[in-house]
Amino acid sequence: MRNVLEGGFDGRVLAVNPSREEVLGLRSVPCLQEDVDLALVSVPAPAVGNAVADAARAGCRAAIVLASGFGETGSAGAAAERELAATAREAGMRLVGPNCMGVVSRRGASWLNGSYFWQLPGAAGGVSMVSQSGAFGGMFFAEARRSGLGVARFLSVGNSADVTETDAIEWLAADPLTAVIGLFAEAFRDGRRFIDVVSACPKPVVVLKAGKEAAGARAAASHTGSLAGRHGAVRAAFRRAGVVEALTADEFFDLLTVLAAGRPAAALHGGLAVLTISGGPGVLASDAAERLGLVLPPPSEVTVRRLRELAPAFAATGNPIDLTPQCPPAAFGPAIAAVFEDPAFAGVIVINCGLDIPEFGAGVAAARQATGKPVTAFLLEVPQIEAALRETGIPLLPSPERAVAAYRALADVNRLKPR
Amino acid sequence: MRTLSEWASKAALGDIPRPVERLTRSSAEALAFARRLGRPVVAKAGDVAHKSEFGAVRLGLDIDGLAAAWPELAALGDGTVLVAEEVKADLELMVGGLRDPQFGPVVSVGLGGVAAEVLKDVVFVLAPPEPGELDRALGELRGAALLDGRRGRPALDRAALVRIVDAVSRLLLDDESVVEVDCNPVLVTAGKPVVADALVVKK
Repeated sequence: MRNVLEGGFDGRVLAVNPSREEVLGLRSVPCLQEDVDLALVSVPAPAVGNAVADAARAGCRAAIVLASGFGETGSAGAAAERELAATAREAGMRLVGPNCMGVVSRRGASWLNGSYFWQLPGAAGGVSMVSQSGAFGGMFFAEARRSGLGVARFLSVGNSADVTETDAIEWLAADPLTAVIGLFAEAFRDGRRFIDVVSACPKPVVVLKAGKEAAGARAAASHTGSLAGRHGAVRAAFRRAGVVEALTADEFFDLLTVLAAGRPAAALHGGLAVLTISGGPGVLASDAAERLGLVLPPPSEVTVRRLRELAPAFAATGNPIDLTPQCPPAAFGPAIAAVFEDPAFAGVIVINCGLDIPEFGAGVAAARQATGKPVTAFLLEVPQIEAALRETGIPLLPSPERAVAAYRALADVNRLKPR
Repeated sequence: MRTLSEWASKAALGDIPRPVERLTRSSAEALAFARRLGRPVVAKAGDVAHKSEFGAVRLGLDIDGLAAAWPELAALGDGTVLVAEEVKADLELMVGGLRDPQFGPVVSVGLGGVAAEVLKDVVFVLAPPEPGELDRALGELRGAALLDGRRGRPALDRAALVRIVDAVSRLLLDDESVVEVDCNPVLVTAGKPVVADALVVKK
């Protein structure tokens, strides 16, 4: 209740509590009798049945049951859970949970925080998240606050008595505020429908699937069975659906970050430039690019000549292109423009460790806007450049390798999700 | 769970590329078959699962060898012996299938044979595969380059591989009682794959 009120929800909030007349300054009613849009059910498990029945009878459109003590506890709990779903279904009401962390949703300039998370995302944006794990939802919000990732919606589906992750993705696919969908899943309740829904979704769907390797491999009678683990079929399903798969939590957040910044207009077939003033980190980036199958061609002769005019004699004009910290500040703009404009490059990785020169940031921002080429960046302790790149919508990643991996995801997304 | 014999498994898979082979019910039948073949043969005891672990497979037999091995193999199994041409493979693959509790029937292709479980290089596609899906999946194998031929060897005949994949897929889709399928090894000689051994597991 406090989260709803303090989250700044600008609609009407009704308190329902049979044992108190007032909750956090709101007059409360003993039983819900109005057909509200959403009922948040946060009561002990034994009281959930009546609360859901009241909401259904009153004509609520949806109920979110945050309470635990259902299917996750055993067969009696599972039976109670099925009953909740049946009550909702009969009344035409959708039910989220039970055993979930709730919903967070942008509403104009304000937030509906119908969740147990008391800290909201720092920024509004196009990322929506569906999670089968409540705790991973906490990781998502912490990461969004840390990195400035802009959020549209969050739904914790809990035990999915009624609404499944697939239902949530289907809704988000048509949601105007959502540009990218993230899913944390441990299992898929309606596997083939999940594939159909994600295939039909025009937006990138990034999935982090936990529990890939069976702890005790299935007792398989065949080689095929013993080699499948639990992930063989999942990979097959993801390939067909066009899922952008993340293998780690870090990768999951990186993919959301880079895809939220927008997708390239066309498939990225051309080469990649690593543009840096920092030697070692630039080489790490080019190593990572090679491992990921990205091509780093040398710049064209025209570009090399231009760089020779602008940058110090010891600057590297291969690929990585290392302008070096000794490059005159006024030369950064034209040198960066020359690299961006080179037709040998479809995109650029920008790396800058510790040389916070405004001309560098302005040069990258201008070149990016002029050419529209996709860029990811790794920046270290350069607040002015960070601000300039963020302003232009360039995704910032926490290491050179992760900047390259995120670029690779951009290159892949048009293949996975053709427009 | 019950496993079908190699012969019954191959029959269940229908029209798949396989070695020249015959299920023989007598030593005389086996020897006549081997003589007509005029090449070394492999002999396997009929209806024994995990044949190699039980010494139920004999390789590189000439006519005399086959005559000596036949009664021993017949006694190990159900009294029949499968006699097949010996195939010298450039590459061993495996094609399999299983029913996933979340996503339904899937077919796998991987580097196979005795090294399959060490290499663990296998990809899965949903059954039935969509056009282009199998090729994309094969590209994800760590050893994908082996399929393209090397050192003067021809590339894998993809159309023949597709016939095996389709047979596994069809079996899973048509027969609800089939839980797992193994075609292992699928031996590739001069680009042509043949299913040298197969196993169908039913509920």
